Amino acid sequence: MIFILFKQLKSETTVRKKIEVLKNDKSFRKFFIQFIFSIFMVFFLFYLISRAFSLELGFGHLSSRAGFGLSHSFIIEYTSNDSRWGAYFTGVINTIRVSFVGIFLATFLGVIMGLARLSKNFLISKISAGYVEFIRNTPLLVQIIFWQLVLLQLPQISNALTFGGVSVWSNRGILLPFISSVENGSLWVLILLISLIVTLFIRSYLHKYKEENVKIFSPNLLSIIFFLITAVVSYFILGIDLRSDVPTLEINEYGTYIQSGGFALTPEFSAILFALVLYTGTFITEIVRGSIQSLPVGQTEAAQALGLSTYQRITLVILPQALRSIIPPLTNQYLNLTKNSSLSVAIAYPDVFMVSRTIMNNAGHALPMLFLILSTYLSLSLLISLIMNLLNRRVTRIGT
Amino acid sequence: MRIVIWIKENLLGSKTDILITLISAYFIYFISSLFFNFVFTTDWTLIQVNRKILLVGLFPEEQLWRIWTVFSIFSILISATIGYLYKLKLKNSIFYITILSIPFFIFTTLNLLFNILIILFFSIISYTAFYYFKKNQKKIISRILLFSWIVFLPSLFFILVLFGGPKVTLWGGFFVNLILAVIAIIAGFPLGVFLALGRASSYNVIKLVSIVFIETFRGAPLIAWLFFAWFVLPNFLPNLFSLNDINLVIRAMIVLSLFSSAYIAEVIRGGLQSIPKGQKEAATALGLSSIKELIFIVLPQAIRVVIPAVVSTFIAIFKDTSLVFILGITDLLRIGRLIPEQQQEFYGKSIETLLVVALLFWVVSIVLSQVSRSIEERLNVSN
Repeated sequence: MIFILFKQLKSETTVRKKIEVLKNDKSFRKFFIQFIFSIFMVFFLFYLISRAFSLELGFGHLSSRAGFGLSHSFIIEYTSNDSRWGAYFTGVINTIRVSFVGIFLATFLGVIMGLARLSKNFLISKISAGYVEFIRNTPLLVQIIFWQLVLLQLPQISNALTFGGVSVWSNRGILLPFISSVENGSLWVLILLISLIVTLFIRSYLHKYKEENVKIFSPNLLSIIFFLITAVVSYFILGIDLRSDVPTLEINEYGTYIQSGGFALTPEFSAILFALVLYTGTFITEIVRGSIQSLPVGQTEAAQALGLSTYQRITLVILPQALRSIIPPLTNQYLNLTKNSSLSVAIAYPDVFMVSRTIMNNAGHALPMLFLILSTYLSLSLLISLIMNLLNRRVTRIGT
Repeated sequence: MRIVIWIKENLLGSKTDILITLISAYFIYFISSLFFNFVFTTDWTLIQVNRKILLVGLFPEEQLWRIWTVFSIFSILISATIGYLYKLKLKNSIFYITILSIPFFIFTTLNLLFNILIILFFSIISYTAFYYFKKNQKKIISRILLFSWIVFLPSLFFILVLFGGPKVTLWGGFFVNLILAVIAIIAGFPLGVFLALGRASSYNVIKLVSIVFIETFRGAPLIAWLFFAWFVLPNFLPNLFSLNDINLVIRAMIVLSLFSSAYIAEVIRGGLQSIPKGQKEAATALGLSSIKELIFIVLPQAIRVVIPAVVSTFIAIFKDTSLVFILGITDLLRIGRLIPEQQQEFYGKSIETLLVVALLFWVVSIVLSQVSRSIEERLNVSN
């Protein structure tokens, strides 16, 4: 290509004609425009970088003592004597915690509401429609603050609702009865989670094996047995002592009320969780509704003709097919939910954004902290997209 | 009899249906009794007293004519556009009138009624004029409409700022949310078109820059970008004309525009992909240059397809403008939070103001989403 261009250039004698040749050459024009554009971008970048050097850069300040406490810490035990990195990672874990629970509950709510929207029952479909129209069209931040205010309307701790001693509901938080262990409780839950994932892999492998060979065993039963064995063995090795953990409300010697035990939902966590779940649930409702509506009516009719019950029709025929068009937009909503969890800064739930903001207030370094926030959310988004892509591949593979 | 059959089919079909109906009925009763109990037992004087502050913040009283001018031009233009584009549908107009009458009844006092009626009168006149003249002089009418939109949108800023207008710091209330959203979409749309074209182009450098821009802005939450505007952005602006000292509201506008442009770019990219290849080939066969092909063939079709999605983006941005609350800009939400804190007689009435704030956002969003839905229906019919 280039040689031809050079030959043409050489054959022309005047400068004007040479320019004419260059003008008409497509690949040269492409190169030229990109060249000019890159020079411009390089200058722009240099300008930005030179400006950035007048700001505080570097992450050195994150190694020094944080000096502020956080109201929520999960898995990592955090105190104000830890480094700022510790605070940051506590924030990351808090973000992951609220996003994970939120994604789970929002999907549940969205699927239920999406099915309700399409129900023949007039009342429940109108409930679903009203839910979507009201919640989706108000700002999330307003809803978060609203839920916080509502939870603060709960009675004060001195006359907390106890529902006959089963749980404690006050404006300091909601304590629900739960099962806990004295020692190694969270470790056991972690082991259970890991073994559940391993079991799923084993199950799919066994299914493959069964397809290729004789069918004399049940893969489902075998994998359940495997899961139970790991659970029981680790139960005895770790010395787990499961007991019901009923929250209590006591008055100590100074006359102050103390609520303890149980599964604690703080007002901040519950406010952000309620708002995120309700808000994202509306979008998931619309996604589920749209996907199911786009299925041919014949599918429903065929399922009815086969004599399947409503439950079987939905779980065996409708949802598996609808999932294919549900998952890509659903991934988008999961990403939105994760990013929206940063709004918890308004009600002081210490997620990664609020912790970074506190560090920014204490130690400056705004640009590096913003970079850290950006990379945190980008990696969380990538993680979610990765998991959902794997799921998507699995779902689209079935039956094709 | 028909009612009985309807009830039998829709509410009491089977045993589970009866159960669902009962539970839903109880749920509706529970929610509505909670809601109406609250609404009718609450003293709403705090809204009556603070009408002006909620809508325009601390905007000086003698300068309010600027907002009135913008508001009236806007409503006249919008009604002209509706008259040009749509046929009158009874169902839709009932919906719009009921929704829009909610803020009207909350916020209109007797001395404002005159202004509102005048604006309404002129809007109806412009609606009917455009509705009737479009049959005969469609070309002229459409040009007048386009011209007035193009002239008006930049002049919106001039009317508010020039000739001794109040400082931007005095802007507040619902007005700030509306203007932030409008500016973000006006500035973000052209930028979004360029980014979408850049992302779809075969020029690798331009493609790379567009992708990096779009994904960076979409990667972090808006609130992080607003903090960027607060702490870091002044440092990156040139020293000329004291640009690096600009007001927080303007900085929020810049960041909101960039943010919305990234989202609009993704929407328009979808539109670009939906155009059949034959269109481009036909344009090439007709001998159009690639720029002419873009402007006259590809873009008009792509943008037409994505108008509903752009409206949805606008709604999202509009709702997101409530985040400037965290920067300390006195937008509607912040004022709604400040009133119960600072006015002693209304101390602790946070939920009341918050509900009114939510209502105002809801009214605008639901009207816009209905607009987007009817545009979508029109597009489906014409396709």
